Parts: sequence; C-alpha cells; structure tokens
Amino acid sequence: MPRPNHPLVQQFLDAWVTPTGFSGPGVEFRMRMTARCLPIWNGATARAVKGGEADRGLTGDNWKMERALAGYALEGPQMSIKQMSTQLLSVPMDQQARYIDLQRMRARQIWDEVKHGQLNADVLLRGGRIKKEDELMASVEANAQDNLAYFGLTSMFAHLHPLARAAQNYFVEAIACLGITATLGAVDDPLIRHQMRSQQAEELMHFMEGKFQLDAYCLTPEEQRPVEDAFDFLLKPWATKMNPAFGARREGGA
Amino acid sequence: MTAATIPIRIDHEACTECRMCYVVCREIDLNAVYVAPEPLHRFEIDPGRCQYPGCTACLMYCPAPDSIIEVGSGRSLVPPPPDVWTPDRRVARETA
Repeated sequence: MPRPNHPLVQQFLDAWVTPTGFSGPGVEFRMRMTARCLPIWNGATARAVKGGEADRGLTGDNWKMERALAGYALEGPQMSIKQMSTQLLSVPMDQQARYIDLQRMRARQIWDEVKHGQLNADVLLRGGRIKKEDELMASVEANAQDNLAYFGLTSMFAHLHPLARAAQNYFVEAIACLGITATLGAVDDPLIRHQMRSQQAEELMHFMEGKFQLDAYCLTPEEQRPVEDAFDFLLKPWATKMNPAFGARREGGA
Repeated sequence: MTAATIPIRIDHEACTECRMCYVVCREIDLNAVYVAPEPLHRFEIDPGRCQYPGCTACLMYCPAPDSIIEVGSGRSLVPPPPDVWTPDRRVARETA
C-alpha cells in the first residue's frame, strides 16, 4: 500500500495535477511520470516545511539574505538571461511549426525568471544587504548554484529533444511551487512573503507548461522516450534538490 | 454543440497573462481566447466561440487561482472544480 502524500502535496495533486483537459497516451504518460516524481515531491515538501518553521524562529536578517542570494543565483541574470535563453535553441527550424507555442511558453518563462531575479535583488536592496544591484555581479553566492538540474540546463545539453524540457517544467517547477506553499505557511516576514507571493502563480505556470507538453505533445514512444530520459536524469538522487531560495536548509546550517 | 454554453470571462485582477489558456484554446482549434486590442495585451474570451461547459480544456492549464470565472454566477473555475473536469469533457488526443 503506497504511503499517503504530504498534505500539501495532496492539495497540489487535487488542484493542479489530476485535472486534465485531454485524454490519450500523453496523459497516461504524465500520470506514470507523476508516480515517479511523488516520493521526491513529498520529501522536498516535508523538508521545506521544516525549513520554514526553523526560519520562523530566527532573529536577524541573515537567513533572508541567504535565501535571496540563493534565489538570485537561481533566477538572476546568469541563469535567467544568459543560460536560460538557450532553451529556445532546442527547437530546430524544421520543427518550429509544430512547436511554435512551446517556444512562446519558454520565452514567457525566461521573462518570468528575469522578474524573479529582480524580486530577489529587491529583498537584498530593501533589506539593506546591498545598496546597488551592481554589487551582486562579483558575488559567487549570487551567481553560482550547485543544483545540477535546476531549469534543466545541465540536463538539457544531454537531452536536446524539443520536448525534453517538459520533464524539468513538470518535476522541478512542482518542487518550487510546493516549497513556496510550505514557506508561505510558515514564514511571517513581509519581505520574504512578498517575494514568494509575487512569483507563486508564475512558478505554477511553469509547471503547467510541463503538464501541457506532456498531455498534448508526448503521444508516441518516440516523443515520450527523450522526455523520460530527462526524467531519469532529474530523478537521480544527486541531480535535483530543493534550493534554499525555496525553503531548503543547508547541511549543518542554522 | 453551442446550445447550452455558459459565458465565462477572465478576471484581470487575478490573471497573470501567462498565455496558457490562449495556447490551449489554439491547440484544440477553438480560438475562443484572443488578445484584446489594447496596450496591455490582455486576454479575453469570445462568447461566440467558447463552448464552456462543454469544453473546459483551458481551465486545466490555468495557473492563476480565480482568474477565469462564470459570468452569471461569479463562480471561480481555477483551480477547476471537480464537476468541470469529468472524463466526457476531455479532448481526445491520439497518435497521428
């Protein structure tokens, strides 16, 4: 008998995962992938709740700055402008007609991540950690993140099929959504809540991009195989983890 | 199949203009969601083309709670209530 889901995961499933607009092999494939994602989604959510509760008991601003720096590394210019733009290149010209809306969704996601990077900079500016965003350009903490699978960039170069990124959208963005929900349930700080609330619906949109691609486009074994290969990568224990920006705690951290 | 449609609209206070409803509606060739001719490029739903509640596909991919509502009742359709995502409403998507 399968273990029950974390209550926040079950709410997420009921509201956003289970309802579907299509029937057919794409939806069946997505449900099979969902079953593979669930253990990670449950574990990440439980850790994010724990992290948020621990944050609530902290005094001072250091924990907020750590979150914001990690968020800037995830969504700031290095990722959102420089690296993420390359995701558009996974759709070759001869498949542009078929995947034109997929490219538009990804272009929209790039713009969303640009805004999220700005939100993290705002926390650092309004929290007094920096006076100008320029100061972040030379900061390792603000520009390097060690999550191999974030945005699927590491996985993308090994999984170049136009649909492969659907796995990132579906699996990783769900973790972001769950982490935000867990954080908002635990953290009262207005700066952090503002930063989380401002991006909540857009993270869910990135998840919906994945859901839509899986349901509507992943219909044949030839279309499903490269996506499942990307899931295989993302689901490796060392590939994906919850980032401090979304509520994870560093090993041995406060 | 237009006999029993119910008008729905986008609540611009809640919508993030992410385009998912537009993409889905185009994908199934209804084209009921359109970009309004105004500077903000907001989306609107054409009641002459929308088949809700016969078709509810867009609601399944909308990420912004409360952003699509029934005009008459004011009922929020995001996240989709269980009565609007019954199997008979799903768009069949088979391999070519």
